[in-house]
Amino acid sequence: MTLAQEGDPRAFETLYDRHSGAAFSLAYRMVGNRVAAEDISQEAFLSIWRSRLRYRSDRGSVRTWVLGIVHHRAIDALRRNLVHERRRTDAEGLAERQEAPELTDVEVVRRDEALQVRSAIETLPSEQSRVVELAYFGGFTHSQIADMLETPIGTVKGRMRLGLEKLRRELVGQVA
Amino acid sequence: MARDHEGHADDPPVYLLGALSELECQAFERHLMGCSTCREELDHLRPAADALPRSVSPVRPSESLKRALMEVVEHEAAERPDPSRPRPRVAAAGMRRRLRALAPSLTTRGPAVAWVSAAFLLAVGLAFGAAGASVLSRDDGRTVTAQVDSVRVPEASGSLTVSSDQRRGAILRVQGMPSLPSREVYQVWVRRNGEMVSQSIFSVGEDGGGAAAVPDDLEGADSVAVTREPSGGARAPSGKPVVTVAL
Repeated sequence: MTLAQEGDPRAFETLYDRHSGAAFSLAYRMVGNRVAAEDISQEAFLSIWRSRLRYRSDRGSVRTWVLGIVHHRAIDALRRNLVHERRRTDAEGLAERQEAPELTDVEVVRRDEALQVRSAIETLPSEQSRVVELAYFGGFTHSQIADMLETPIGTVKGRMRLGLEKLRRELVGQVA
Repeated sequence: MARDHEGHADDPPVYLLGALSELECQAFERHLMGCSTCREELDHLRPAADALPRSVSPVRPSESLKRALMEVVEHEAAERPDPSRPRPRVAAAGMRRRLRALAPSLTTRGPAVAWVSAAFLLAVGLAFGAAGASVLSRDDGRTVTAQVDSVRVPEASGSLTVSSDQRRGAILRVQGMPSLPSREVYQVWVRRNGEMVSQSIFSVGEDGGGAAAVPDDLEGADSVAVTREPSGGARAPSGKPVVTVAL
């Protein structure tokens, strides 16, 4: 990362090779469309290249930083692009069907990690996992979710807190 | 705990999930600077939010994505190694194979050749009655001057360099365009038979310069246009073009 921060294209290429799969997968999961996901990924990595000096290792891993930028870009695209209507019905199915057929070692590790996190999410009560997924992957605001579920905003926020709290405990339990 | 904590007490998990509106997010980030209680809750819940993207099944991006990205990165690294300096931005999205195929030919032409060809083809353009556009042909393509909205982008100018093989698309270059807020972009469209097809989105540098790919086959297209759209682009133009290139 230090070399990439100094403007070395080869170091940035290494960073891209390490994190582009996770970045693209997240964008694809959120928008459900390869072209849009590639646009988001490309914008995000260009932003990372151009703002590389802003990364601080004491605030988290490079992967977390990269995925955070991709997440924000995808939310922007979703909220501005009015794609909510079309993507929710097919996003998950498409993502599963187009999973890389021959996984690399890194992808195998990622897939196993994904299964672990998903199993932790599945332990949440459905009303909590629903608001967490609508917010994080759907790009909806808390007030949109409240409208959608015909639930008071305070309840939606409370479910988000309870969901993240329980998910945290589950993940800590997996590590322990 | 900050004095305004009560109004933001429920916000940390919502913020971590990206579910605050833009204005709410800005207000919460201001509040955070003075509220250790909220900062502690963010630190506490952050591992759960950070784990969410890891629940996604791996899907591989195309190789063309990497090639297009690295082309821009290498170009910028060679041109301006210091990231703190302003620079014109090459299209951030929609830059596809045709851009890569076209770009080398665009960068190798000398100004003298362009000037001589320009004089010749200006006459050709006038002969064909190309009102409002000068056509500058070159050995491997042609450049068409853009028309700009003199009210909304009074300082702007631009041109479209079309490959001699129109199926390879074109590159649009602009100068003097207003910089946009971070949540907006310029979006490039091709109009054909009354339908507008999105090509790419781009931003401009502090000097108002920028470039964008037009990857579609331009055979039979009526015009190329640029509109101002929300970040991420729009499915259809939301307003009148600020730049138009008649074909």
